[in-house]
Amino acid sequence: MNNLLYFDAGLGMMIAQGAIATVAGFVLFYKKIITILQGWLGIRKAAKENSFDSNYNKDTEIK
Amino acid sequence: MRHPSSYRDPSGFIFKKDGKVYRQINPVFFDEYNAAVSSGIYNFLFDKKWLVRHKELSSNPSRIVLEPEQLDFITYPYEWSFTQYKHAAQLTLRLQIGLLKNDFCLKDASAFNVTFHKGKAIFIDTLSIERYKANTPWKALKQFNQHFFGPLLLSQYHGSLHLKTLQYSINGMDLNEVKRQLPFFSRFNPTVYSHIYTLSKSDGENDTNHGISNPSVELSKASQIKMLSALEMFIDNMESKENTEWSKYYSVTNYNEKSFEFKKDLIVKWNKELNSKKVIDLGGNDGTFGKELLAQVDQLIVCDIDQPAVDQCYLEHLKNDSNKLTCVVNDLLQPSPAIGFDNQERSSFNSRVIDFAPDLCMALALIHHITLSGNVPFEMSAQYFSQFSKYLIIEFPDREDSWVEFILDSKREARHLFDDYTISAFAKAYQKHFNLIKSEKIVGTARTLFLFERL
Repeated sequence: MNNLLYFDAGLGMMIAQGAIATVAGFVLFYKKIITILQGWLGIRKAAKENSFDSNYNKDTEIK
Repeated sequence: MRHPSSYRDPSGFIFKKDGKVYRQINPVFFDEYNAAVSSGIYNFLFDKKWLVRHKELSSNPSRIVLEPEQLDFITYPYEWSFTQYKHAAQLTLRLQIGLLKNDFCLKDASAFNVTFHKGKAIFIDTLSIERYKANTPWKALKQFNQHFFGPLLLSQYHGSLHLKTLQYSINGMDLNEVKRQLPFFSRFNPTVYSHIYTLSKSDGENDTNHGISNPSVELSKASQIKMLSALEMFIDNMESKENTEWSKYYSVTNYNEKSFEFKKDLIVKWNKELNSKKVIDLGGNDGTFGKELLAQVDQLIVCDIDQPAVDQCYLEHLKNDSNKLTCVVNDLLQPSPAIGFDNQERSSFNSRVIDFAPDLCMALALIHHITLSGNVPFEMSAQYFSQFSKYLIIEFPDREDSWVEFILDSKREARHLFDDYTISAFAKAYQKHFNLIKSEKIVGTARTLFLFERL
């Protein structure tokens, strides 16, 4: 398993992912708070017409 | 025979037999493949239209052979518009997130693993899917940033030229190079900082040479999903601010409404007579005229040099939910060459069009650019078009046309070198390669539409 990597993934890249994930966690939390606040204020973002999801008929979220 | 593009991954390879594409799986990948089959992950992704369909043809101890759905025309990353590139990046991230939730993952994130089929981005490398090993970071993150995020960022800041990155750097863009070209303030964005500035510090180093052969680096699945979700959200919000005269061509062109409709009707009428099912519209701008044929054809490729125009074509197509259209950014004066190992890994645009074998090639409002701006003689452009299809619909703007006048005026003292740009010289040269079936002047313009049949 996982032994057929045919390019250099970069050890530094993999170590850095922990830090990136921490930053991403903060970004997602911040966005969530903003969305909740906007919801309270009645500000709703219009759904994008040309989003990635509009290109596929079904929901793209894998359950 | 092994396909020249399929040599990097030891798990298997693509081969061609009797004009059809097949995939061989080597024994070293049997466990991974069988795990994916028994989990139902392939079928799930087929239903999503995210992964190219395949069926298993044969299985023995030395190899498993799959027959994937045959794709008539493959586009490469350096032929995508900004939104296409963005959607291909999002597909890769969505796949990785979705696979993680099902205890699988992508072992690589090459942009060449994605193409456009039936108007949608689709993942075509079945053997990139393997089982997820608990708490391992995503080994393909560096490759994702080199192939997708770097070129998209640079394109957003500096223009669509950077979407061509993989044409001259097939393994993606060095993140240090991306960092050097980003504006100073970009480092204050946490996503850009972490994926480009942080990761660039380790890019270019060969970590395996540091005596660490089996490093144990851990990252929880939940953390990885957060990281990829934030990246996908950032990419989803990216926009190209690039705009050119061509993407608004039809709002400023010298056609009046009557001429415009006349030209549309004529193309539809002629194509109905030809009964063409596969059409390529070269210099098709935003697909305004090509799309008139969608009701008649099975497949339409719209190709243009102008990234914003092609992007507009793609965006319009998303709204209309047509699955017949493929959009390609390409400059016919320097179409995508064959690149990669032995110049065979990725084939040239011309050879892919020839393999696609369109019934009809359209070149509307194109010849004056090729001839006057590109200096390509009529004989050469005629020969060029004749290699693609039996029929050619081509529009000739005469010297009185305002665009032609504009280009000729820009030649200044060299204007006389283009005195041969006349409708009779054009018709004569093209009849060395084609039979003229008919021609008709577009009312209210100095333009004539020709229908040719290859000799």
